[in-house]
Amino acid sequence: MNKRVIVIGGGAAGMQAALRLKESGVEPTIVEREAETGGKLRDWYVLFPSFTPAADVLGELRRRVAERHIEVMTSTGVKSFTSREVTLDDGRRLACDAVVLATGFTLFDASLKEEYGYGLYDNVFTSADIERMLSRGRVAKADGSRPRRIALLHCVGSRDEKVCQQHCSRVCCITGVKQAMELKKLFPEADVFNFYMDIRMFGPGYEEMYREAQQKYNIHFVRGRISEASPTIDGRVQIKAEDTLTGRPLRMSVDMLVLLVGMRANDDNAALAEGAGLRRAPSGFIAPRNLFLGNVESDAAGIFLAGTVSAPKNIGETLNEATAAADAAVEYLKRS
Amino acid sequence: MATINFGYTISKPRAIDMDRNNLRKSDEILREMPELQACIGCGSCTAVCTAGNLTSFNFRRVHTLIRRGEYQGAYEEMNKCMLCGKCRLVCPRGINTRGVAMLIKRKLGDNRS
Amino acid sequence: MTFFAPFCLPFIIGAAVMFTVLLVKWGVWLYRLPRTDKMTILRGIPTRRTPQAVGEVVGEALLHRSIFRVDPLLGYMHMSLAFGWFLLIAVGWIETVAYLGLRYVPLQGHVFFKYFATGLEHKPVFDFVMDLLLLFVLSGVALAWFKRLRSRALGLRRTTKHVLGDRVALSALWFIFPARLVAESATCGLYGGGSFLTGSLGGWFSAHLSVPGLMNLETAAWWFYSSCLGIFFVAMPFSRYMHIFTEIPLVFLRRYGVRSGEKASSMDQFQTQACSRCGICIDPCQLQSVLHIDTVQSVYFLRDRRYGMLRPETADNCLMCGRCAERCPVHIDLNTLRLNSRDALRNLPDERRYEYLRGLDRSSGSGKVGYFAGCMTLLTPRTLAAMERIFEAAGDAVWWADREGGVCCGRPLKLSGETDAARKMMRYNTDLFRKHGITTLVTSCPICLKVFREDYDLEGIEVLHHSEYILRLIRAGRLLPKHDATRFTYHDPCELGRGSGIYDEPRAVIEALGELVEPSETRENAPCCGSSVANTAIDDGAQLQIARAVAAELEATGAEVIVTACPLCKKAIGRGAQQPVCDLSEVVAQRIG
Repeated sequence: MNKRVIVIGGGAAGMQAALRLKESGVEPTIVEREAETGGKLRDWYVLFPSFTPAADVLGELRRRVAERHIEVMTSTGVKSFTSREVTLDDGRRLACDAVVLATGFTLFDASLKEEYGYGLYDNVFTSADIERMLSRGRVAKADGSRPRRIALLHCVGSRDEKVCQQHCSRVCCITGVKQAMELKKLFPEADVFNFYMDIRMFGPGYEEMYREAQQKYNIHFVRGRISEASPTIDGRVQIKAEDTLTGRPLRMSVDMLVLLVGMRANDDNAALAEGAGLRRAPSGFIAPRNLFLGNVESDAAGIFLAGTVSAPKNIGETLNEATAAADAAVEYLKRS
Repeated sequence: MATINFGYTISKPRAIDMDRNNLRKSDEILREMPELQACIGCGSCTAVCTAGNLTSFNFRRVHTLIRRGEYQGAYEEMNKCMLCGKCRLVCPRGINTRGVAMLIKRKLGDNRS
Repeated sequence: MTFFAPFCLPFIIGAAVMFTVLLVKWGVWLYRLPRTDKMTILRGIPTRRTPQAVGEVVGEALLHRSIFRVDPLLGYMHMSLAFGWFLLIAVGWIETVAYLGLRYVPLQGHVFFKYFATGLEHKPVFDFVMDLLLLFVLSGVALAWFKRLRSRALGLRRTTKHVLGDRVALSALWFIFPARLVAESATCGLYGGGSFLTGSLGGWFSAHLSVPGLMNLETAAWWFYSSCLGIFFVAMPFSRYMHIFTEIPLVFLRRYGVRSGEKASSMDQFQTQACSRCGICIDPCQLQSVLHIDTVQSVYFLRDRRYGMLRPETADNCLMCGRCAERCPVHIDLNTLRLNSRDALRNLPDERRYEYLRGLDRSSGSGKVGYFAGCMTLLTPRTLAAMERIFEAAGDAVWWADREGGVCCGRPLKLSGETDAARKMMRYNTDLFRKHGITTLVTSCPICLKVFREDYDLEGIEVLHHSEYILRLIRAGRLLPKHDATRFTYHDPCELGRGSGIYDEPRAVIEALGELVEPSETRENAPCCGSSVANTAIDDGAQLQIARAVAAELEATGAEVIVTACPLCKKAIGRGAQQPVCDLSEVVAQRIG
């Protein structure tokens, strides 16, 4: 079959979809906006619930892509596309027979929740910052000292009407548990508190990990959303919440406040969807044709969805979906 | 009997008896302000509360008790609210909390003891 | 001459009813005014305020200058009806005097003079002038008909939906002048006289009708004319047309300094009944233009209140942004009336409320300058940090009133109608300010600013919004922000702009930093961000819709940074904007040292 499929996005979903297409005898081309493949996975340290280094997964995917001589165009943005043609930012047009859309998500900008002081106070971080610090092997307060008390706040930029993000980003809860454990490992003397509205442990091994965090790591879980943070004279961060299980307001000073930022739809989803005739969910993510019997297909024939472009997902789900999207594309090409 | 004083109590220390409690007022309140049903009890409103910062007023607790049919003392508690509106600014569910406070006072005003 | 014919009866009865009701109403309202207001009036009468009021009555009640500013055609319509009718009456009296000399003529003699004057020698000058005036009024009537069909042509996107009583009065009013034209023309056709209008039409009648036919027409037309007048006069005091005469005492009372307040008073009657229900307040209302809510605007609020059918949903559903008050041709104090309606609905004097305020003091620092962040500013810490930076750069020692949590300024509670309870907070904060001996009070919240200036007794303490304070520092050379090429746009917060008249200071500060580009609706016409604490009726989605509309207008300026000077506006607009939204203090703090 001498067909060409363009995979937009070279993250985990894009690479896996391309690999599967190649396996099925279709010629894939990965178009990646960044200078290298890997997407958000590049910034992650270890993956829940197994603490598998993200670099292992990413390295293997990259190795396979190189080994199978899959064409990868990096530093190449897409302006618009249809199932038969992809228009690049520089105006070039690439002809194709189908498209797999794997453009992923955007991390919520924590500075929009001004009351948490991200970008304003020294010791307020996001979960992405923590992953980067863990990767670099140096987690510390802004002044370089060891934190003695750490708070992690769930649902920053998720389930929040005030920033127009209604949806649950799913993976932040388990990320919060994972990072709490990692921080506790690094700073055994520190107290670690997770502030949550609901704890959502949807994946295999997640609930067990949650229990381990409680029992083995003595992570404190406080049911209440932090409402504001303010600086203290000694450079710490004072947080306020209601401890809803006791029904009383709670305030505490912490050395680090970690905001577990959510996944939101890309800003360019609207323009891309309009150009290609795709439908968007109220959350802004691209809606699949059918949630059950067509969940990797889009409303437009010949355009398939892989990974977090359609909703927040973990890496495992993303890889499975990429395979399914590639298979659906191959089926489509056989029929056409 | 020695009990720990957890601040104020707005209902008698007993189980919430849903077989006995009359939800008529609560239903009326929810009918006029259905968005209150979207509350997930995150406590943001209570955490930011200007009045709650100075006294034992707990907005989330008061309206939750009302929704269980526990009205006693609720009006007096709600009268501690300054209606400053901080809670409305932080509610992740977008509930019109100021409207809720005013509605509760209007509905339970005649229940005063 | 007897000056009586049976057809005069509807007019005579109508006029008698109208004047009686009018005098009773005004008398009762005046009588019920608080004593202090009565004294204010008495003291005002011998001053130059009286001639000023006369001037305003001519300018507004007759010429309708304010409506001309909304739309010239709409202004002409109102002027032709009011001023034209006034001239018809005035010139009519002169005409009677010219014909009969100075002698007593009953009212109907003046009004139906054409009918009674058939035996007298005609004075063509008066015939001409009266015809001209009638044409003037008729052109207004024609426009009024046209407005019902095509309101947009007269500058109104939406026109008022009227109640039945208003429709009766309106129909009567529409027919008064055409009926007069036919009646006078018929008389001229029979007895001669009249000018280009009544004379010509009369000539045409006599050419096409037999004499008995014309006589029948004459009788019928005069009856119809008189009946229209009668119906209109009876309906007038009970319909929107009460405004015709009520605007006059309102202008005088206002000039003398009588105002409506947070508690309902008799003055409110003069205001509510001076509303002509012209509907000019509907278009600027964002609840209408963005949310398509069209039952709560000032015109409907005043109508419902006047007829005692005001529902809380109507009273509460208002942003109190003041855009309508800015346009009201009668200058009715719409926000205050809305406020005291809420007070009537909700205020409960409860002495035990807020007992917990006693003895509280969470303030910190010390200095002659006090800073009151305001509840909302505590949720925009970038503003707090910027203000701290600015105070430091200026070298002012600061007493922080509420950084660790304070007591609300009381305005939100007042706006919801609980005015007595709000006073407790006002007293608490006043005592706190006095205790710490500050001479200047700076706030970042326009809501607090307005209540500090209007309701607090803070003699000896100068109250400043941070925009005013920052501008002063810049002008005094105590703050030297760098100027660069950034393009800013500015959103006027309602309570700061229309509410406190502060438009220029924030703009002057921005111009010291970079370039200022104005959005399409700005200053007095600036839209509300939608999150106003005055509205407890609309939900979050509705607030967001308004915020998005406002953000879109601000972004359309092409500015890089949206600046505002209110924590609530900042939060609201930030939800709808792609561009960064900053408080004025932030953009200043970023550019100092």
